[in-house]
Amino acid sequence: MEYVIIGNGVAGISAAESIRQLDADGNITMIGDESGLPYCRPMISMVLEGTATPNQLPIRKAKFYDTLNIAPIFGERVTDIDVGSRTVQVGTAQSVAYDRLLIATGADPRPINAQNQELKNISYMRTSLHVANMLQSLAGTRDALVLGGGLVGFKAAYGLLRRGLKVTMLIGSGYPLSLQVDQTAGQMILKELVAQGLKVKVGVEVTAFEGQDKVEAAQISDGSKIACDMVVIGKGVLPALSFVPRDHIEVDLGIMVNAHMQTSNPHVYAAGDVAEYIDVARNSRWVNAIWPEAVSQGRIAGINMAGRPVAYAGSLSRNVIRIFDLDVLTGGLVTPPHENGYEVMSAMHAGRNTYRKMVFCDQRLVGFTMVNDIEQGGVLMALMHHQIPLTIPKEALLDTRFNFKQVMTHGAWAASPKAA
Amino acid sequence: MKKVIVHPERCVGCMQCMLACAAAHSKTKSLFLAVSEKPQPKPRVHVGVGLYEEGFPNRCRHCNPAPCQLACLPGAIFRDNEIDTVLIDPDKCINCASCAMACPFGVIRYHEDAVAPPGKTVAVKCDNCYERRQQKRIPACVEACMVAALTFETEAAAMKRKTDEISRSVSTGAETAALSPGFELLNTLKKVQIEMRNP
Amino acid sequence: MNKPFENSTICEDSQLLLQKAARDQIETVWERHQAQQPQCGFCEMGLSCRNCVMGPCRVDPFGEGPQKGVCGADADIIVARNLGRMIAAGAASHSDHGRDLVDVLGEVGSGNGSGYQIRDPEKLKRVAAEYGVATDGKDDFQIAAGLADAMKEDYGCKQKSITLISRAPAKRQELWNNLGVTPRGIDRETSEMMHRTHMGVDNDWQSLLLHGVRNALSDGWGGSMIATEVSDILFGTPTPRATRFNVGVLAKDQVNIIVHGHNPVVSEMVLHAAQSEEMLKLAESKGAKGINLAGVCCTGNELLMRHGVAMAGNHLSTELVLSTGAVEMMLVDYQCIMPSLATVASCYHTKMISTSDKARFPGMEHQEFHPENAAETAMTVVRQAVENFANRGEAFIPVDSVDALGGFSVESIVNALGGSPDPLIDAIKAGKIRGAVGIVGCNNPKIKQDHGHVSLAQRLIENDILVVDTGCAAVANAKAGFKMTDAAELAGPGLQEICGALGVPPVLHMGSCVDNVRILVLASALANALNVDISDLPIAGAAPEWYSEKAATIGVYFVASGVFTVLGPMPPITGSLNIVNLLTEGLNDVVGATFAVEPDPEKAAILIRRHIESKRKALGLPAEDV
Repeated sequence: MEYVIIGNGVAGISAAESIRQLDADGNITMIGDESGLPYCRPMISMVLEGTATPNQLPIRKAKFYDTLNIAPIFGERVTDIDVGSRTVQVGTAQSVAYDRLLIATGADPRPINAQNQELKNISYMRTSLHVANMLQSLAGTRDALVLGGGLVGFKAAYGLLRRGLKVTMLIGSGYPLSLQVDQTAGQMILKELVAQGLKVKVGVEVTAFEGQDKVEAAQISDGSKIACDMVVIGKGVLPALSFVPRDHIEVDLGIMVNAHMQTSNPHVYAAGDVAEYIDVARNSRWVNAIWPEAVSQGRIAGINMAGRPVAYAGSLSRNVIRIFDLDVLTGGLVTPPHENGYEVMSAMHAGRNTYRKMVFCDQRLVGFTMVNDIEQGGVLMALMHHQIPLTIPKEALLDTRFNFKQVMTHGAWAASPKAA
Repeated sequence: MKKVIVHPERCVGCMQCMLACAAAHSKTKSLFLAVSEKPQPKPRVHVGVGLYEEGFPNRCRHCNPAPCQLACLPGAIFRDNEIDTVLIDPDKCINCASCAMACPFGVIRYHEDAVAPPGKTVAVKCDNCYERRQQKRIPACVEACMVAALTFETEAAAMKRKTDEISRSVSTGAETAALSPGFELLNTLKKVQIEMRNP
Repeated sequence: MNKPFENSTICEDSQLLLQKAARDQIETVWERHQAQQPQCGFCEMGLSCRNCVMGPCRVDPFGEGPQKGVCGADADIIVARNLGRMIAAGAASHSDHGRDLVDVLGEVGSGNGSGYQIRDPEKLKRVAAEYGVATDGKDDFQIAAGLADAMKEDYGCKQKSITLISRAPAKRQELWNNLGVTPRGIDRETSEMMHRTHMGVDNDWQSLLLHGVRNALSDGWGGSMIATEVSDILFGTPTPRATRFNVGVLAKDQVNIIVHGHNPVVSEMVLHAAQSEEMLKLAESKGAKGINLAGVCCTGNELLMRHGVAMAGNHLSTELVLSTGAVEMMLVDYQCIMPSLATVASCYHTKMISTSDKARFPGMEHQEFHPENAAETAMTVVRQAVENFANRGEAFIPVDSVDALGGFSVESIVNALGGSPDPLIDAIKAGKIRGAVGIVGCNNPKIKQDHGHVSLAQRLIENDILVVDTGCAAVANAKAGFKMTDAAELAGPGLQEICGALGVPPVLHMGSCVDNVRILVLASALANALNVDISDLPIAGAAPEWYSEKAATIGVYFVASGVFTVLGPMPPITGSLNIVNLLTEGLNDVVGATFAVEPDPEKAAILIRRHIESKRKALGLPAEDV
């Protein structure tokens, strides 16, 4: 059996490990564009912040490929897939045949539309190399400009603040972290960051950068100019699937997969940031480009590729952010569209500085936001992931004393559709 | 292999397991001295409260595969197969709380700890009393539990006991005797009080 | 979704103030109760013993772990020890309160009681006669001194039995004598209980509990009764008077002073100072329209009974009253004063003053009251309160007060009846009134605030059962409007008729928690009039929301006096089913009455009605099936 995995990220790695557990003899080839050891992408912001060191990033040791008997092809991007002859084209010259192919190419940063992006000290924050470069130029910089109020933007801003820089953040629209948290939590985070010195501008974008060699200022859509000697672009990511033949493999925003992580072509699988599957909270297709999904989907894909049919319940968005004294944990649909009969409950405890918001659809929890006292977040995630109908008062989930026992008492786990 | 087994129906909520656990994971191993240690030792077992204000000793199940281990970004969470225990390496832990999102039982806490680098907040959870086991002592929570809500036995033995109990209860003519009539009486009345508050 | 805090309290003022407290980041008793969950099952069942240092010990209720303490005490002994000490603590609290009044009486007698007077010399003479204190040719001060001395003997160990036990029906006294539970001295019985529960003394759970009965009787017919009688002598025997209830009694434009605690010794003096010309002028000069003194808890009830002073709330309201931001000063004496109060007050301008040398609180200023300095100390603190008016921030007084009639002593009830209890007895005989029930006791966050009291009172009066109440129960029922003059409309037709004829509400406010003895005296009068024992009467007691050791003692002296008593929360005794059975069944053969435990007031009402009808039947009166 010839297994080919495109992508050396955590989805690809998890798939390779699962395949090897079930199939000792098959040939596994991994193709990746980042050379070097597979590393933990969410931790690059901690390296920027200084709470983790670059040598903590690798998630596997160098001998990993040898131990699992994997043939690596690194530093190259796949340019084409020929589903008829079951081969992938690597670079210009190389072609690799497969019986089972996994596309786990992840995502690339969303580009911005501004002039003079080639100036020095303007960077995306997607790879460990990006962060290494930022750290190198830290010494000579004082004023950083962060583009984007999403997760990457916030983590970049937080890291640079902790490094002692003056940071200005530009948010295109809405409120900060609008995709990750609800408005209240977003404001709490913003308040905390502003208290620590962050400047924020809402509703504006950069039209052009200025500078000789390095960036010196940015022109803003409102006509103003902001002086800066470092720019970080964090405007989200897009699935990396330019090489995928759309006439043979169905693509929506990401590559569409079924519960076995299989694409419309039965020999081809997809997992991680590039894949699109049913989101259990939204009950519709969605790309959840997050690390823990990549781990799970890679694992499921690998198991299925090795011939053991295992279904995946569905994907689920989730995030945990620690910013100064604020812990924020969110999952599922944090800001539901009002028209669809969602039920929303929230509770704020000013004295303890905690906030909880729960989103229900009928008796099911489909989303939540918690600020501080986040230890029980995993219980809520499990309730959502297994789509367990609640038989206890919904208010109980808002109480910081909520714990596993409260759902166990009423046999909620036994009532799970999976158990039935 | 013997393991800690929880019998929630017996928990009276005295929280002695929490004290014993914190003391067992302190530097001095003595409750009296441990209270003045820095950092303050904290329990790994957590007596939660049910909807009827009943106690519930919640501790790590050492799942396999463990969701926390899969979610751990720096690979600090690992399984020691020999003792069937999921452990956290405090030197590797980066306190990112990814495991908080993953643990379906909510048993991981974040604080400074005697075995962690000084001043560093890390993820902490039950280690099955790794240190005590090496001294051939049973886990501290089990030792402290006077009502056998926490037992240290093989899964097979506990299963057999439970199977026998259930078999007896379904025998024709069997009377279902309360485990403790007094405790049941108290809980019945407490339930009335609680339901009056939350109609 | 429910109204906010609807699960915590039925009171609108409390609900609204809980919202404010949350906004002001004030932690309340409800939150602390939540934070305490789960509460220790060993302690809840009475199965933990901390009486010695071979221990502490606990017994496994499931039978698997230890079944005996280190000394060998089993569950029965440990539960009995704990219950015994609970009774002792309750008896000690009431009786020590009584002793403080006797001290004042003595000081007044010897001419040192600055500002205190004998307000009811008739009662002084009546009680002196009961004590065998000579009154002929003596002035009030000499009698007071003699009576105080005689009462002090009751506290000691010189007597064969305490004096006021003679007020009980002869049959009851005989029963107590035969059981060997006639109390000999007030302090003696409490002291003996502490002795008996020491390791290696009384290890027969039945004998321990019998002593518990004696200890409780030493309170009900001793310490508490002395407290009430001396309070009447010093401050006047209550007569019906109009008053108002709930947090709406606070005044937006006046200096608000709250008295909290139990003993009228302090609050009476503060009231006097607050009504003084000098202080009223000072208040006016500070821009206040007057000085508004109001009470919470039982010291409030004491002032209410004698002066019609308004009550801002009961036990669970004490923090919330402060969260109005409208209180210039809260003065506390002792008992039921949550140590959290000064923390709440610190969020506002409210000054907190502790007044008793035996009760100090974190964050409070201590201004000790003694008989010889009480009047001037009261002026000092009221001046501070008035001066604090200027510091008031925004006040939140969310509701209007409820009118009520209070002040029903036994004397005033008999007066209302035209000088003898006969009209009441006739109404009971005729079935217009089925019987009477004393609803007493506290608030407890385990029960929605006032729900137990109010639901029970409502069901009882609807069914033509006269309700008398005291303490926090009395405040609850007043807040609910049961003491308005036209509240008789809420009662069944028979009770409505009688109340209408007498011009009284269907729920009679009989005072503070020491004033439960007024109920004993009233019950004795009815029993004597019918020539039966108290246990034969169609009456009952209830403590639907009790929390305190004092309430446990009250319950025991009620039952030991022959009154069937229904408790809301379960006392810590379920660790011994022997003791549960004795208290709920076995005692019937011993004292002719038992306890019942029923947190649901609807069901408690049915238990009580059944009991009353069964007693009616036994007396040969017309009875109904319930």
